[in-house]
Amino acid sequence: MNWPALPKFNFSFNRPDTGDKLLISVSARQVSAAHWRHGHFAGCDMFTYSDEGLGAFKSYLAEIRKSLPVHMLVDAVEEDYRFESLPHSTGRDRSAMVNRKLKQHYRNTPYISAQLRGRDSDKRRDDRYLFCALTNPELIAGWVQAVIECELPLAGIYLLPAVSRELVERLQLAQTNLLLVSRNSSGLRLTFLREQTLRISRLARIDSTTPQAIKSYAEEISNTRLYLHALRVMTLDEQLSVLIVDSDDTLAELAEIIARDNPNIECRRLARAEIVARVGIAAPALDSSADALYLHLLGLHAPDSNLAPANVTFGYRRQKFRRGIHAATAVTAFVMAVSGAYNWYRIYDIDLEIKSDSETAARQTAARQIAELQAQYREATQQYPAAPTSGENLRRAVEISQKIGATTRSPETMMNIVSRVLEHSPAITVKSFGWKYGATNIEPGGKTAEPGFPAAAGSARRQSGLIDGEVRPFRGDHRAAIETINGFANLLSQQPEVAEVKITKLPLNISPASALSGNTTEGGGLAGTAEFKLLLVFKPTL
Amino acid sequence: MNALDLHTLKTLQRPLGVLAAVIAIGAILLYYTDRALQSAQRAAAQQESQLREARIQLNKSGEEKETIVRYLGRYQYLQQLGFVGDEQRINWLDGLRLANRETRLFGVDYQIGAQQPYPYAAELNPGQLTLYQSVMKINLKLLHEGDLMRFLRTLAQFGAGVFSVNQCVIQRVDAGDDLRNQPNLRAECELAWITLRPPGEKKS
Repeated sequence: MNWPALPKFNFSFNRPDTGDKLLISVSARQVSAAHWRHGHFAGCDMFTYSDEGLGAFKSYLAEIRKSLPVHMLVDAVEEDYRFESLPHSTGRDRSAMVNRKLKQHYRNTPYISAQLRGRDSDKRRDDRYLFCALTNPELIAGWVQAVIECELPLAGIYLLPAVSRELVERLQLAQTNLLLVSRNSSGLRLTFLREQTLRISRLARIDSTTPQAIKSYAEEISNTRLYLHALRVMTLDEQLSVLIVDSDDTLAELAEIIARDNPNIECRRLARAEIVARVGIAAPALDSSADALYLHLLGLHAPDSNLAPANVTFGYRRQKFRRGIHAATAVTAFVMAVSGAYNWYRIYDIDLEIKSDSETAARQTAARQIAELQAQYREATQQYPAAPTSGENLRRAVEISQKIGATTRSPETMMNIVSRVLEHSPAITVKSFGWKYGATNIEPGGKTAEPGFPAAAGSARRQSGLIDGEVRPFRGDHRAAIETINGFANLLSQQPEVAEVKITKLPLNISPASALSGNTTEGGGLAGTAEFKLLLVFKPTL
Repeated sequence: MNALDLHTLKTLQRPLGVLAAVIAIGAILLYYTDRALQSAQRAAAQQESQLREARIQLNKSGEEKETIVRYLGRYQYLQQLGFVGDEQRINWLDGLRLANRETRLFGVDYQIGAQQPYPYAAELNPGQLTLYQSVMKINLKLLHEGDLMRFLRTLAQFGAGVFSVNQCVIQRVDAGDDLRNQPNLRAECELAWITLRPPGEKKS
């Protein structure tokens, strides 16, 4: 064949399935079963579509390993395909809408499926779905029941045309309009794919034993072209490529007839040898059943259009879940064993390090080294003068005593300064003098702050004083008395050691915030006293 | 896969149980090996530290000898002074008595509080040493303010211990008509007697 080919990549995420499974093809005439092992099967076991055949099938299943998953292919006339566009949606909305649509189309069958096949190219960009269903569930009911009764996990049920896509991929066909024609056990299967995507399929029941069979096949192909036109899937002007899958090399004449009678149909025949070579099915397996090729394609890759409802695939899902648990158990056990072993290895490694110090040539133990060093130290300390504590403590104790001596203060400096200023303020008489060296200033009444602890962490100690005095003589002239007090405070503040001077009390409280009362009677000694209080703070460096 | 119902879970009881057991056993194994590993790492680090300290100690042994020789005498003096070791409260009271006699004052009333940690110890970088203080409040009568300074200087000179003056308040008192040899002032002072304790020595 020299038809356009799909690009072939060396890598693939869609690798052939090599897991063991049981492949079953059900048609109205016969049932084929094949045991898929290591990516292929040797041949098919055949059962007639009858009660006897069903009995034999059950006996056959009884011999099968219980954990073997079953994939079932159905080739029947009672099938339906609908290609529809639905408004674009996602998540639960999409599921709900699709399920609604499926129920609307197929009320009487549980074997239904919908696959998203891209989006429209118009403005709405609707989602395009292929809805398909097996409209006669009774066709497979007995066979499905047999599988379930034998406790084999049923993984999926598919319509036979669904695996055509795998054939297209295997043959790397790139035709836009491709009609696959094959003769199966139930008749002539005609599957139309547009741009490698299944659009529609039909089964023509034609007796292959009659001499007119080939002619009937040709007529069916011509009719199918008209049918596609009627369905508006493609127009008559468009080129149609027909691929005749000739598994037993009996359709060579059909290819010639099609080519001769239909000039606008490009027809190719895929002969038996080519099927064996390109699809990878063994010749004996291909010969064992008319449905063998499709079973092989199903074995290679199960399509996404699984018709089986959840209650049918329950056993398979349970098996998958059980296998998932087994895998998780194995992975968990492995990871934990490796982690535990790694921890033990590190412990062993550390233990070695503790017991042997690789830095020393003699490979002494670290503990012995410590003991030896300590012994050497003790020997050295025997040469020391007898001391009550370590040298470091001796040094520190001496330094602390020196620091305390350096930081000790007395009231003498402040008293000298106050005396010096008083000489220039003869009207000021000191009644009481308080001094404090601490983190907080002295308070009236000589109260200390918290016993012995600094007021705030990190606050530097400073000297502060409180002078309780009065202006003498005082004859009721408050203005003059206040001026005298202010003058005294000014003189104090001019001293270089002083950081702050604050008058905390005046003879007369002239603040508008408080009441004021008194007597203006003039006369010696009757005007009361002019007392004041003054806070004096030294610079912290003193 | 759709959600599995209770019946399904029941049929998967055994593999789920095995998974749970593996997780539990693995978790226990990891927990104990991890603890053993941490313990081994700690032991290794501790031994490394001990080895390093022993080496440093030996290397510095000469230096330490020099330090002891240099500071031992002054340390012993501080012990005699009562700065290092237990409080010598009797010495303090002797100091008060002698200072009062020396300065010819009118007697000193005193009150000593309980020993407590020295609040400004951090400023002195004490290392392993611990500093304590006992606050003493004294009341004394003075002829004039100069007597207070003489008293404090004399108290320090007697070497009864190490102290610092926290606070003093001097007030005039009514001396009456006879001004000779009568106190004119009253002083209240707060002193902090400071002591130092080397490591390993307990408070008595």
